[in-house]
Amino acid sequence: MDIDDSNEELSRRVQVRFITKLEAPLKVPSASIAVPADLTRLGLSTIINSLLKSKNSDWEAEPFDFLIDGELVRMSLEQFLLAKGISVEKILEIEYIKAVVPRKEEEPSPHDDWVSAVDGSFPGFVLTGSYDGYGRIWKAPGLCTYILDGHSDVITSVSVINQKGEENIDVATASKDRTIRLWKVDGECHGNHPGKIRAFKILQGHNASVQSVAAETSCNMICSSSWDSSIKLWRTNVMDMDGEQVSVKKRRVNIKDEETQTEEEAVSTLLGHTQCVSSVVWPQYETIYSSSWDHSVRRWDVETGKDSLNIFSGKVLNCIDVGGEDSALIAAGGSDPVLRIWDPRKPGSSAPIFQFSFHTSWISSCKWHDKSWFHLLSASYDGKVMLWDLRTAWPLSVMDSHEDKVLCADWWRGDSVISGGADSKLCISSGISM
Amino acid sequence: MGAVAKNKNENNRENDSDRRRVIGKDNVAEAQSDEEVYPSGVTSHACSDSESDSDYLDSSEDGEFEGNQSPVDSGAEDSDSFDDEDDDKTGNDSGLSGDEQGNSDENKSSEQPQGGEESDSSEDEVAPRNTIGNVPLEWYKDEELIGYDITGKKLKKKERQDKLDAFLASADDSKNWRKIYDEYNDEEVELTKHEARLLKRLLKGKAPHVDFDPYAPYVDWFKWDDAIHPLSNAPEPKRRFTPSKWEAKKVAKLVRAIREGRIKFDKPKEESQVYDLWAGESSSPTKKSGHLAYIPAPKPKLPGLEESYNPPPEYIPTQEEINSYQLMNEEDCPKFIPRRYTSMRNIPAYDNAVKDTFERCLDLYLCPRVRKKRLNIDPESLKPKLPSRRDLKPYPITCYLEYKGHKGAVTSISTDTSGQWIASGSSDGTVRVWEVATCRCLRIWEIGEVVKHVAWNPLPELPILAIVVGADVLVLNTGLGSEEDQKQVEELLQVGAATSLDDKTLSVSWIQDDRYRYGAIKLQHFKTVSSVEWHRKGDYLSTVMPAGESKAIMIHQLSKRLTQRVPFKLHGLPVTSVFHPTRSIFFIATKKNVRVYDLLKQKLVKKLETGLREVSSIAIHPAGDNVIVGSKEGKLSWFDMDLSSQPFRTLTCHPKDITNVAFHRSYPLFASCSDDCTAYVFHGMVYSDLNQNPLIVPLEILRGHSSSNGRGILDCKFHPRQPWLFTAGADSLIKLYCH
Repeated sequence: MDIDDSNEELSRRVQVRFITKLEAPLKVPSASIAVPADLTRLGLSTIINSLLKSKNSDWEAEPFDFLIDGELVRMSLEQFLLAKGISVEKILEIEYIKAVVPRKEEEPSPHDDWVSAVDGSFPGFVLTGSYDGYGRIWKAPGLCTYILDGHSDVITSVSVINQKGEENIDVATASKDRTIRLWKVDGECHGNHPGKIRAFKILQGHNASVQSVAAETSCNMICSSSWDSSIKLWRTNVMDMDGEQVSVKKRRVNIKDEETQTEEEAVSTLLGHTQCVSSVVWPQYETIYSSSWDHSVRRWDVETGKDSLNIFSGKVLNCIDVGGEDSALIAAGGSDPVLRIWDPRKPGSSAPIFQFSFHTSWISSCKWHDKSWFHLLSASYDGKVMLWDLRTAWPLSVMDSHEDKVLCADWWRGDSVISGGADSKLCISSGISM
Repeated sequence: MGAVAKNKNENNRENDSDRRRVIGKDNVAEAQSDEEVYPSGVTSHACSDSESDSDYLDSSEDGEFEGNQSPVDSGAEDSDSFDDEDDDKTGNDSGLSGDEQGNSDENKSSEQPQGGEESDSSEDEVAPRNTIGNVPLEWYKDEELIGYDITGKKLKKKERQDKLDAFLASADDSKNWRKIYDEYNDEEVELTKHEARLLKRLLKGKAPHVDFDPYAPYVDWFKWDDAIHPLSNAPEPKRRFTPSKWEAKKVAKLVRAIREGRIKFDKPKEESQVYDLWAGESSSPTKKSGHLAYIPAPKPKLPGLEESYNPPPEYIPTQEEINSYQLMNEEDCPKFIPRRYTSMRNIPAYDNAVKDTFERCLDLYLCPRVRKKRLNIDPESLKPKLPSRRDLKPYPITCYLEYKGHKGAVTSISTDTSGQWIASGSSDGTVRVWEVATCRCLRIWEIGEVVKHVAWNPLPELPILAIVVGADVLVLNTGLGSEEDQKQVEELLQVGAATSLDDKTLSVSWIQDDRYRYGAIKLQHFKTVSSVEWHRKGDYLSTVMPAGESKAIMIHQLSKRLTQRVPFKLHGLPVTSVFHPTRSIFFIATKKNVRVYDLLKQKLVKKLETGLREVSSIAIHPAGDNVIVGSKEGKLSWFDMDLSSQPFRTLTCHPKDITNVAFHRSYPLFASCSDDCTAYVFHGMVYSDLNQNPLIVPLEILRGHSSSNGRGILDCKFHPRQPWLFTAGADSLIKLYCH
């Protein structure tokens, strides 16, 4: 009897050794310990915290996430081992990382109307576009420094072009008034009142509302997609703007006191989509990725203007982003609650390699983390922003700060998630440790 | 002794042959008289018959001769044989047949005492002495015997004579040259003189009998001379050498019968004949098929083993079971409780006899006399084979987006051509334009009156809306297009004072209405307008005034600001009117029928008889040859215009009024929405092959709207490019169902 009991005890325990790539204060001794098999992530996290506390008495508890064989543990240890068919005989090596969850919810920044676009690629500020036709620059949560005034209709997309200098930042906004406007933003803040900025360049040529704008890495070009099912490439030429101004025919647009505004034609047009091109990204110099309402994801070769890849998804697509491993994975979401990720390097198959379906409505936005290969976020019309890790099918965290549809979301400063929605708020969830 | 007998025999034979010849002659003479009757083949037969007859005579005479024999005869014979002595010596060993003959004769003579009367018609019947059978004699070369006789005694071989003795004996015996040793029967045989002569003749190649003359003169027995007429001089009739027609027919008939299987060569196996004991009282209705359907009376239950006076013990219930029967219901407990009696004498009278008889009578009297014909068909097999819904994707399934904002029931919706915007009219007196992708309400017009119908102009460069408010039709500029478009629209929507004639003939006035943002034109009608419909080119629009009588349907031209009534006589109360999607054909739906007019030729093309109680809506397939009509009784009729004026298929799906029906522009989908708060989505594939009927498959029931004031979904429209369905509900919501 005694022997049996002890056996049972043993069988319910697992020999584990915790390893990590984290820095010194977060390291625990690498000796193997026996832990109960029915522990979940929370239990394992408590063990790590208690281990750390035993080393450092004023340690504050912190959530951790656990990886076994490169996969995140999302159920009890026993179930996980059973599901993966991992033997309990050997000492189990569990890697722990900091849990990717937002720790702080910033005060929402109010807008006058729905927030339709957000860009956090410049760490100094957050750029938003709104349904009232204004773009806004937020230096900090709740602190609006500039208002980009000029569009006569809804701003659908915003993009920071120039990330090099601190002083003069160029941004582009696309609008339903069929134009794209380029703005110069002073990186520094001056005064409390939000200053109004006028666009220095208006790009006209689309026949229908522009849905998306994306800047090239070297910042000389931008591309835009529109409801007229075309993608247009534009030259920004921020540097020799004056020279351009001479050559380009000057025309007054709407506002009387506009002198520095110039207009420009598109450099080239990429035709191929049959319906509204909802989103474009330009991750490398020669390739543009686009998603469209004609259910396709395409990769365009900028030099030739031909699409070199065409993935048929079967659903209307609203957003696309490229990132992950080697910046090659395509994530896209659309008219159903499934976030799909394709690997175009995989030959002979256009089936998505990952499908995350935890949302309950259309997905409006998806963005890869620019440092991590595994993390991406998605925003949906169900009012939730979710953080995903490719190593598990469950969301890492669900941010439910919006009361209405979330229309846009982005990463900011590498540790915050910014999102705007139909409740006219810009929400910032910060303190995400990668 | 033996030799004498042989001679005698020989004599007989001689005489026989003579006699035979004579008799044969007689026979021929007889035959001659018969010849006229028999054909030539038959006469020869008769001859042979007569020969056999003569054989009989022969044998009988044989017996006579045996009895009284004349020695004279034999002597004569002897002398005769001497002449041929020399010759016969050479033919000694070759006369095997004669040898045998003699042999048999000898046997016969030995048998004579007992078998006097026995016929010896065939000499071969005499068995050889040897009984070893027909085997090579070498096998018995060293044996002493040559077999066994019938009593089992050995037939010994004769002692061999000394060669010298034999030679001496032969030298002594003058007849030695006529003696032959028969190896088979192990005896010496002496040939008769006659036999020797026969052999000699055979060797010479002559006929064996001396008397036989092969070259005898031919006797022509037919009397040729006296006959006046030749026997027949006629040429052979044709039928002798042509194949018979009737025989050919007969053969053909047989061949046909064989081919058709009427004649079978391998007979079917004889099935054992079983006597059907119950044939008389069988219940098969075929027996009395002549009468009205005969239904036999129900049979009483046959007695079983438990009703025996001495049933097996397992049938007899225990006391507990009998007790339990009393607790049971009267209907449940068994009618008969088996009991055991030692003998038949002890069985008491059956106390339920009268009751049972009565019940039996009741059964006979009350048994059903009507035969129910029941088809044994699986109802599933009667369903048409439809393709799986999975294969017909995409089609709208789930609702993800809701367009909220209206305060009253949304009466009508319309999408613009690109599918970017959707307009809606509501009973709260507003018209709204929504962005499809985000549910954002872009424009609101306060009309102040119930908006009955909205219709978006089909041209993408003319973003204008036609809306029906009471007796007015408003053409609204939405202000959504580009600047160039806007300019064009503004020009279009300018109505000068000159054009707005208040003529009595026109009865519709065009008025500039500047109350609304972006500008509008009001078309004032004299009666309440129910619906408005754009022509595909975006210049014409038709309005329906149900109470307008002869001017119930008007066609307005926007660019010229002209109004005209349709040049047809209208029948009944018009409900809606639709333009053909490609040709200049116009559909007018009245409450009962749909009339199809050609606008160019100005005449009625077709009348579709719906058979419905009240038509509520109509939609035309984008190819233009198929029409669906929704009715207020919840029925949906699909018309194939090329096929007939009757509905190709009528779908009864909604329990309440169908409020609207819609076709998808590019996907093979159509939908109907109803006041029961559901919308049905169907797959409606129309094939370009005219021989193939349209394929209609119900796909999905879309729910989600709630009922308000007894009304459910008031309008449904497909997204122009995606397989999505918009539904407008009386609960002031617009829902978008995505695939």
